[in-house]
Amino acid sequence: MQGYLGIDVGSVSTNFIVLDDVNNNIKSSLYLRTNGQPIEAIQEGMDVVSNELGNGFKILGAGVTGSGRQLAGAIVGADAIKNEITAHAVAALTMVPDVRTILEIGGQDSKIILLRDGVVTDFAMNSVCAAGTGSFLDQQAARLKTPIEEFGELAIRSQSQVRIAGRCTVFAESDMIHKQQMGYSREDIIWGLCEALVRNYLNNVGKGKEILSTVVFQGGVAANKGIKQAFETVLETKVIVPEYYDVMGAIGAALLAKEEVALTGSTKFKGFDVMQETFLCKSFDCSGCSNNCEIIVISMGKEIVGRWGGRCDKWELS
Amino acid sequence: MRKVTFPHMGTSVFIFSDLIRDLGNEPIVPLQPNKKILDLGVRYAPEFACLPFKVLLGSYLEAMERGAEVVVTSGGNGPCRAGHYGEVAQKILDSNGYKIEILVFDSVFRNPFQFIRKLNYLNKAKLSYWSIAQLIRFYWRKLQALDKLERCTHKVRPRALNKGITTKVFKQGIEWIQQSRNLGEIEEAEQQGLLALKNIPQDPDRMIIRIGIVGEIYVLLEPAVNHEIEEILGNLGAEVDRSIYLSGWAHDNTFGHKKDSLHYARPYLGTAIGGHAQEGIGHTIMYAQNGFDGVIQLAPFTCIPEIVVKTIAPRITKDYGIPILTFFLDEQTGRAGMQTRLEAFTDMLKRKKRQPLKVVGGEKYARVFGN
Amino acid sequence: MEKTKIGIPRAFFYYIYYPAWRTYFESLGCEVITSPPTTKEIIDLGVENALAEACVPVKIFFGHVQKIKDKVDYLFIPRVMSMNGKTSYCPKFLGLPDMIRSAIPNLSRLIDITIDLRKDPLTFHKAAVKVAKDLGHTAWEGLRAFHKAAHIHKDYMALLHKGVFPNNAIQGFFSENAGKTEFAYNDFIENKGSKQTPLRLAVLGYPYTVYDSFVNVNLLEKLKGMEVEVVTMEMMDPQILKKQRNKTVKRIFWTFSEMASRTAYHFFENSKDIDGIVHVTAFGCGPDFIVDKLMEIEAKNKHSRVPFMSLAVDEHTGEVGMMTRIEAFCEMVRRKKEAVI
Repeated sequence: MQGYLGIDVGSVSTNFIVLDDVNNNIKSSLYLRTNGQPIEAIQEGMDVVSNELGNGFKILGAGVTGSGRQLAGAIVGADAIKNEITAHAVAALTMVPDVRTILEIGGQDSKIILLRDGVVTDFAMNSVCAAGTGSFLDQQAARLKTPIEEFGELAIRSQSQVRIAGRCTVFAESDMIHKQQMGYSREDIIWGLCEALVRNYLNNVGKGKEILSTVVFQGGVAANKGIKQAFETVLETKVIVPEYYDVMGAIGAALLAKEEVALTGSTKFKGFDVMQETFLCKSFDCSGCSNNCEIIVISMGKEIVGRWGGRCDKWELS
Repeated sequence: MRKVTFPHMGTSVFIFSDLIRDLGNEPIVPLQPNKKILDLGVRYAPEFACLPFKVLLGSYLEAMERGAEVVVTSGGNGPCRAGHYGEVAQKILDSNGYKIEILVFDSVFRNPFQFIRKLNYLNKAKLSYWSIAQLIRFYWRKLQALDKLERCTHKVRPRALNKGITTKVFKQGIEWIQQSRNLGEIEEAEQQGLLALKNIPQDPDRMIIRIGIVGEIYVLLEPAVNHEIEEILGNLGAEVDRSIYLSGWAHDNTFGHKKDSLHYARPYLGTAIGGHAQEGIGHTIMYAQNGFDGVIQLAPFTCIPEIVVKTIAPRITKDYGIPILTFFLDEQTGRAGMQTRLEAFTDMLKRKKRQPLKVVGGEKYARVFGN
Repeated sequence: MEKTKIGIPRAFFYYIYYPAWRTYFESLGCEVITSPPTTKEIIDLGVENALAEACVPVKIFFGHVQKIKDKVDYLFIPRVMSMNGKTSYCPKFLGLPDMIRSAIPNLSRLIDITIDLRKDPLTFHKAAVKVAKDLGHTAWEGLRAFHKAAHIHKDYMALLHKGVFPNNAIQGFFSENAGKTEFAYNDFIENKGSKQTPLRLAVLGYPYTVYDSFVNVNLLEKLKGMEVEVVTMEMMDPQILKKQRNKTVKRIFWTFSEMASRTAYHFFENSKDIDGIVHVTAFGCGPDFIVDKLMEIEAKNKHSRVPFMSLAVDEHTGEVGMMTRIEAFCEMVRRKKEAVI
């Protein structure tokens, strides 16, 4: 057996995926918390994935994405180091070939991607406000003392409409308390929160975007059935949540690696063995010119495996 | 000698500093905006002031630490807020006990006497008006040469085999221009610079996309504030063109005059509303018509004219099919987030240009993208 | 024949020009429809369509347009560049019809006539004629309607100067027994039985923020309840304000901003006439960072005898927070005044 490895290193989670090379079936999938230590998360994940695949499996290429893509790329030896937008789009296109809108909501960020005829034509990412991301729900869940995992089930059991003003988490919270005191049921309030998140998301990243079906909803928050239903209510169209909604970035990275390897004919992947090594991340300010670029260096034992951050080629190594 | 500073704007710094010296003052050359300057600006500026105001205020404060006594800056007559900046900065600095004089130069046509008075004040060397005119002509030529080189880097950078070399050669060219002492030497330096840039080893077969950059003048012209967006884009394989160059000259030669951009803008924005709103809209349309793949709008956060432009942008995208990506920049804008968006944008434009294979079949994991 | 319906959103210029505009259109035989006072729903509608980066008043304007666009044949959103031949308005006003046209789908027809007294002394007349003709009337009818409107505007402004708030004045003009009733003045009645020292505060800000009781959470009513006499910039004599013109090197570019800052300068200079100054500013307002800073510096530097507070309001402003701030301010001003007396 052989296939492609994809890794998505985000600020909240680090995800792994292995696709077989024949029909892109998923051979292994893993979702880990990054906990602010991406190197450890990558090593741990590689270990788990390698065990799961067993000895006979050959990795033909590796792709990385997410905010830690440079780092992950240096550690595993990636063929494709790509941004999240491209990775998510490629993955969604593969799962749902006629997709025209991708709604992606993660823990701390969210994006919308528009595609026409299989090509990305427009996108937006949330900038500062977290009101349209998963952390909005996390905060309210803590407030309601309800596990976030139960939110979806509770939301779709709601009987009546409660409108929660929530353009900002702080205001949503005070409004929610107000609604609680008015005696609304927990289900109704949770449904109101789901709708508020969807409205925030659409007002934030979705502003001015032409949302056409087929609509795909992915990212960690897609687990929440309430949000899915809220999207369907607001957009008046069916919303598809793909099977591997929470690791779509990693799937995209693997697919992009496949694409890259097809072009170059060989892989830079270093194998699973490197996971036993110790990696060290350092940085220094280059004094070669007045730019004073901050150069980041990743070393494995005594060997430097990755170096980037400069505006010229002087230190580049990956 | 009186110590005079001025706003930092991209590569043009040395030109203004030489001019100020020739007029008989000691120039306090402003530093490229950095963290310290931004922090100073943020501390004294109102929260909702736009980024250019914060940066300028910060750099005046920094220059004062090095002894600056006078600031020379440009004015404006509204309705963009920038026209009031000189006065507001002066009042803020006064009320915080700083001693500095901000000399605002408004259009000479609006109040010629005031303009002359300010010019005389600055003219410590007691040059004749004729000599001043000559000086301005000389430095204007330098500005043009600078812009010409910069435009050339936009073409060379995406095709260069070696990342970073373009910027290095450009810096060399800037030095040549700086050192030239008469119009003939400027001409020579310009030619030499252009040749050096053209001699950079390039990959002629590389797929290049073309991106137009429009927006507010300060964030457009100050790489330190826009995170060197042109360099990032160049390294991502995009040839860029800006709607505004300081000398204005270079642009008029490629796309016709400002008049044209206003003509195209009118159906979308019927009047001048301050800033470079109409020019931005007009240029976006002209970029679309000239086969550019995308447009990036750069604006300071809370900038009023640019908010109007962004509101109108989706309609232009719809009518002309040109993707527009907007960045509202403030002191919190991070380079990493910007890099990700720019990568995604250039990726998107490249894939679009490549016209990948149409989706075949509906099977779940079909291979859908071509190379 | 059914009357042509003209929609005028209850936002921005409404508070100053509605009586004139309505008179003009009614003289042409049209029916004028205006949106209801701002509500939560209207703000939400606005937030949906306006850019997140836009200021709150722009969002409110968008909401009002949404609210009436389907009920009218034409929306009247003129491009008001200059009404006094000198100063202009914030760039967002100037681009208002363009923003509306681009951002709101399925729009009824827009009347976006340009009015710029700086460029053309006859701009009002020309606009009146053009709009009348577009609506199928003669130039003569347009001019007649304009003169009627100008007359009403004069009366209306006189009422504002006397201290009638716009909402009351408008009600008085267009109620069923118009002309017979007395206008509800901003009747400040000193309550003899009260132990509180009466206060006189200048509440400065743009009409669409000061008089929109939803966005400022009933500020004026609250102050009245606290036995505060309110002075707004519309009540000021233009000639008195003119004396303040040398306080800034350049004239402030924007008409309303200039009025607000001159009123503030006037009271800082004549501190006996006022007990305190409150600057009401909407979140995200571009010009206000300049106006507010100028006031703040003036208050701090030379005239600390006039207490000054800047009150920022936005679409989330809560009743409680607002009350706390103005109560605290009034309390402080009162103590200060009592100490002096």
